[in-house]
Amino acid sequence: MATEQDLQDFTTQVTCPDDFDEFWAGTLEMLSGISLNPVVAAEPLRSNDDVHVFNVTYLSLGGLEISAWYSLPAHGDGPFPAVINFPGYKSEPPVRRDWARRGVAVLSVAVRGKLKSSSEFNPGYPGLLTSGLESKETYGYRGVISDCVRGVDFLSSRQEIDPGRIYACGTSQGGGLTLITSALRPEIKAGVSGYPFLCCYPEAMAMFRSYPYDELACYARAYPDQEERMLDTLRYFDAVNFAPRIKCPMVVGIALDDEVCPPETSYAAYQALTSHRELWLFPNSGHGNAHEYPSQERAWLESQIERSAVAS
Amino acid sequence: MTTAANRFWRQTEAVLVELPADVRLHRDDFYSQPDWDVFQMRYTSADGFRLFAWLSVPLGDGPFPAVIRMPDYASVHDIVYTPLRERAVVMNPTFRGQRESDQAFQAEFPGLLTEGIEDPGSYVMRRVFADALRGFDALLAQGQAEVGEVAVIGTGLGGTLALAVAAHRAAVKAVAANTPMALGNPASLVPGLAYPLAELDDYMRLYSDQKEAVKKNTADLDPLKTAGKITSPVLLSVGIYDTGSCPLAFGEKLAAKIPDCDLRVYHGAGEGGGHEHAQIQLSWLSDRLGLG
Repeated sequence: MATEQDLQDFTTQVTCPDDFDEFWAGTLEMLSGISLNPVVAAEPLRSNDDVHVFNVTYLSLGGLEISAWYSLPAHGDGPFPAVINFPGYKSEPPVRRDWARRGVAVLSVAVRGKLKSSSEFNPGYPGLLTSGLESKETYGYRGVISDCVRGVDFLSSRQEIDPGRIYACGTSQGGGLTLITSALRPEIKAGVSGYPFLCCYPEAMAMFRSYPYDELACYARAYPDQEERMLDTLRYFDAVNFAPRIKCPMVVGIALDDEVCPPETSYAAYQALTSHRELWLFPNSGHGNAHEYPSQERAWLESQIERSAVAS
Repeated sequence: MTTAANRFWRQTEAVLVELPADVRLHRDDFYSQPDWDVFQMRYTSADGFRLFAWLSVPLGDGPFPAVIRMPDYASVHDIVYTPLRERAVVMNPTFRGQRESDQAFQAEFPGLLTEGIEDPGSYVMRRVFADALRGFDALLAQGQAEVGEVAVIGTGLGGTLALAVAAHRAAVKAVAANTPMALGNPASLVPGLAYPLAELDDYMRLYSDQKEAVKKNTADLDPLKTAGKITSPVLLSVGIYDTGSCPLAFGEKLAAKIPDCDLRVYHGAGEGGGHEHAQIQLSWLSDRLGLG
């Protein structure tokens, strides 16, 4: 198990490419040239007296159609605060009726490769982490991150949503995507990143033999002459390089016995934050299973939502 | 076991007996490790479905103890890391509709729990149990690794499948089931549960004329009906706040029905002990499989 001292002693070798901002500005510009084309269809099977659930689709990078579960409070006129929930690496996005029941809209995004968004891009799990690693332009996560950005755009475009009260959360890959998307979209007012994946790839792939990071070690073993290029591509997708660009309050939750995402690597992302930040350490927990995490996440986001309501 | 449940399991076994497993293995060079080989495994289950499994085999001579990690209620059943892979054969089988076993049918999550539920002949979950039994049979039938004692483990639906396999395959040496899904038990049909069990209530709310069909067509799958047949020791974990897979009262009833059950109750929500129990389970399995 890592100690707090281990976290503080850790230094990543990840550096930020000189053209990092240029690359992402170019990607966002490409996105802005694609019509969002949102379609919102009722899901009566998942709806009930308290929550109306919809299946949403919108267009993202490359013109791919991305799906999401959209849960709205059945009571009240809105505009509602909203939480965008990013998915884990291999899990499907959940229908979040729990939040909607409490008066908060939730968009739960099925990024490309998830079942509901896999018709044109389906590298599988394992597979996604090494898909298109040959260059930053072809890397699969360029699309995945774009799908998250477009989710924020969808929420911002909705009359029933208060555009000044959009929040983000997720665990594991969802935690990494929370950090990255918050850097790219200032519409996100606060976020909670749990056990974040997508941090410090060179160290993470060397520290553990568990998936998904081990996919990178497999790639390096299979293509040793490509490892340098792989690591260079990954610098453009490392949450550590996005963290200083985040302007909103952010929580990072870390389990000290995390056997999937090395705690040191998640801590490096926390350390790189320059906005208001909070650190939650869970000493006797592994990846994604700190008992108190879900209730802390909900309470913290609700406090942010209430604070913004008072301010407005 | 009730007559109806007896009939269901007899029919399931009869279907499998008629179909050769036709196990095929293909070494995966990309995911194989210095300490173990990884294979993509395919075999035939009920209705001719070809199923996929990841199989890892330690380097060296067998026989090796084996761990079958039954799939949870999710699309992906990946190459799960476990420290045991250096010393034990580890198989991660899938059921129909999961990734890599979805050529004929792609499962939806949420959705699978009520797929075809209006009729016992079309209800997919009944066949998922056949797929679990066939996974165990396929491990014994493959010729790549010499297999010794076999433990079956799983979480959520995977826990229920692990218990079902142990009830029907006497060769199972040990079972570790975390928060086994209460599918088939009346506890799974009450309003106000979390997902995945909430799928059943969703369905009954929208199709109120199908309530009796839901009860009838899931009832044979109730783990309580086969728990008494399990001869191996079982490590069972439940969480006191779990409402999506294994409500506490159901878990306690299940433990009482299993002849040799070590029940661990945790204060977590649905994960049945999380990290603490994962450590206990690893040690428990190592002891049962003689891995020290």
